[in-house]
Amino acid sequence: MSELIEIKIPDLGGADEVEIVEILVQTGDAVEQEQTLAVMESDKATMDLPANMAGTIQDIIIKVGDKVSQGTLVAMLRPSAADSSATEAVAEEKPAEQAAKVEAPKAEPVKQQPAATKAIAVSEPVASIGKAHATPSVRLFARELGVDLAKISQGTGRKGRILKEDVQAFVKKVMTEGVAQSGGVGISPIPEVDFSQFGETEVKPLGKIKRLTGDHMVRVCLNLPMVTQHDEADITEMEDFRKAHNGSKPEYKLTGLVFIIKALTAALKQFPQFNSSLSADGQSLIYKKYTNVGIAVETPNGLVVPVIRDAEQKSLNELSAALIDLSGKARDGKLPPAAMQGGSMSISSLGGIGGTAFTPIVNAPEVAILGVSRAKMQPVWNGKEFVPRLMLPLDLTYDHRVIDGAEAARFLVAITQSLGDIRRLLL
Amino acid sequence: MSDMHTEVLILGGGPGGYTAAFRAADLGKQVTLVERYPVIGGVCLNVGCIPSKALLHLAHIIHEAEAAESHGLSFGKPKIDLDKVRGWKESVSKALNTGLAGLAKQRNIKIVQGLGTFESASSMLVEGNDGKQVITFDDVIIAAGSQATQIPVFPNDDPRLWDSTDALELKEIPKKLLIVGGGIIGLEMATVYDALGSEISVVELMDQIIPGCDSDLVRPLHKRIKKQYKNIWLETKVEGIKALKSGLKVSFSGDKAPESETFDAVLIAVGRRPNGFKVGADKAGIEVDDMGFIQVNEQQKTNVEHIYAIGDIVGNPMLAHKASHEGKVAAEVISGEKSAFDALTIPAVAFTDPEITWMGLTENEAKKQGIEYDKGTFPWAASGRSLSLGRNEGLTKIICEKETGRVLGAGMVGPNAGELISEAVLALEMGADAEDIGLTVHAHPSLSETFAFAAEVVTGSITDLYIKKR
Repeated sequence: MSELIEIKIPDLGGADEVEIVEILVQTGDAVEQEQTLAVMESDKATMDLPANMAGTIQDIIIKVGDKVSQGTLVAMLRPSAADSSATEAVAEEKPAEQAAKVEAPKAEPVKQQPAATKAIAVSEPVASIGKAHATPSVRLFARELGVDLAKISQGTGRKGRILKEDVQAFVKKVMTEGVAQSGGVGISPIPEVDFSQFGETEVKPLGKIKRLTGDHMVRVCLNLPMVTQHDEADITEMEDFRKAHNGSKPEYKLTGLVFIIKALTAALKQFPQFNSSLSADGQSLIYKKYTNVGIAVETPNGLVVPVIRDAEQKSLNELSAALIDLSGKARDGKLPPAAMQGGSMSISSLGGIGGTAFTPIVNAPEVAILGVSRAKMQPVWNGKEFVPRLMLPLDLTYDHRVIDGAEAARFLVAITQSLGDIRRLLL
Repeated sequence: MSDMHTEVLILGGGPGGYTAAFRAADLGKQVTLVERYPVIGGVCLNVGCIPSKALLHLAHIIHEAEAAESHGLSFGKPKIDLDKVRGWKESVSKALNTGLAGLAKQRNIKIVQGLGTFESASSMLVEGNDGKQVITFDDVIIAAGSQATQIPVFPNDDPRLWDSTDALELKEIPKKLLIVGGGIIGLEMATVYDALGSEISVVELMDQIIPGCDSDLVRPLHKRIKKQYKNIWLETKVEGIKALKSGLKVSFSGDKAPESETFDAVLIAVGRRPNGFKVGADKAGIEVDDMGFIQVNEQQKTNVEHIYAIGDIVGNPMLAHKASHEGKVAAEVISGEKSAFDALTIPAVAFTDPEITWMGLTENEAKKQGIEYDKGTFPWAASGRSLSLGRNEGLTKIICEKETGRVLGAGMVGPNAGELISEAVLALEMGADAEDIGLTVHAHPSLSETFAFAAEVVTGSITDLYIKKR
């Protein structure tokens, strides 16, 4: 006999203390997967509570009138025999359980024509019962999307024929479940909520860059143990120099960012482990002999990170020119893919907008990222008195697999020292 | 020697080659087609399917006119003007040649006449009447086809020893014609020359004509031609052919072998061999198997990344409709589409009289593979349409998966059977079952009804026959 499974109230999209208004099953009832067990009513909507797998109801814990929230135990269910092999996985592993169900019965009827009778097996098709029940146009459609029809157990067409819509639904399912599963940690997806029940909504598809950025961020968050270190740089003198220089009507006006790039390249030279990437198997560290700095740029379509090549060899003026060129191209959507590759470390500067600190996400496979918040005039104790100094908050997020806390602290101190006295950059 | 470059080069202008060329051009590729003969269309159009169908059409008229006599309609003995028949046959091919040339021109496809062989994996040497040239290419599709198998020990230079091309030339009507090989090509030519007045003998190595086809489908044809032809020798091997002044003296071996006999002409129709060894495959690094086939995957790709092959040269069955579909796949893959050849079956048709056709799983194959199936057969003797054509020997058969009723295979024998098979192929590709076919309304009276009736035999809902319940 298989183990009992707890049926709990799923995420109700934020609703709490929802009332059970009807219970549709009794102890001993056999239920199908997705069969409605009970009906709940909040002050805004009525919701069905579906069974997350097929089986027999053993014990109903709730009663009509109970107020329930996410996680409330509803009933105990004994999974039916067909599902028993998958009991341990319960709801989280639903796709795997389905795949197992599909493949087991399919394997048997597949009969291959003996190879010996044919000169070339691939070019001589033979009607095989094992082939998916789908018409040629649906098979083409599946091929275009890279869908293995054998993974779709049952179509919704007449007699279980797989339709185009079934292929689309399959892709949708994989796309929504796939993101959470990509890290291999088996995180259950965020449940779908019908927001229209709370008021008017509008659906707008995400742009391509937004979707790609989203995938990348989830990947990085699931793969990298990240720590963020905060510090402040005294840029009073740097700003004096910068303003004086810009006041002399130069060809390139300097922004604070080019000084930060310069300070970063100097620190990368001093601490080469920050200019590295972990090998794919995680067994070795790849040190880069080049110093390319990525700059996160906000564009109307989303976030992109163009890379300034050989930044350590560029003068402040050259960095300014490169920055203007790349960010212009980025905002016009004209950045070639190559211009967004090969970074040593990236800088995400929100200083122009505001904020006192934030925790940027490392642009993996890089191992660290420098965040810049808004500089603020602050009273600083110089040992005798408080003096007004322009302080720039800096945030360094790093991959803890590669970099230790002390190294990160030293790295950030090196940057604040360079910015505090830019003559150090000449050393 | 001039050099040129093309995006897509196609070697061979048969149904596979020209279809690939047209599709690639329609998908925006710059295409060059190399063809050894002055006209495109290949074996099929010039010395195969098309001219043979023209001659078979006349053969059928002769047979039907003869049959009509017993139904009260006499035409008298036909007068055959062989030059005119040949001329008409050629005009049919020519009309199609001209059509194809026009279609190629509209698509700006460059046609280079000459014999093409690989010089490397990215260049081809074309030797034509006007000299040699080298064409370099980004992608290439080999569609160089096959040729009739010759048996080296036979006197192949003797003009009385024919291959299918010779037979279609219609130079003369031999008094006594021996056909070596009881397959589709041999029996189609037998049909033509029988109608034109030759005395036909057929010799086949296997135990039935059209080997590979289910015996119940072959039987009506065998029964009919047994009466029409002088001899049908099965399980018999041709031991030797001696060229005498009086004719070709053929000696046989085997348990049922007859005495040696002299014929005015002998047609060798023992199959076709792929031209894999003739394209300089080694210079391009393309793997060719012992038989001369070039191995490809379902994208028609050879072992060399940008080299594709289609049609007879990649494997059996050597049929134009297989080649043209493969040609489209290759052209589409080259153009970046995710195409693949995943047809469930390729139908076969023998345009004999009666015609024989089949698709999908044969009964022979189902038994060999141990597949559980239900069979429905409908004899055309119960078809009003067939009887009104003066014919009663036909048969329609359907093979369905036992558990689900899904169509696995089908076959027909009878006049015009070749036109009926496409419905069965569609049913198979659509995943239809016997019930679907029975519930589809078929026009009455038609031969196509017999397919629905055969399906009703499987579902048990047939009313046009009485089948006692077991």
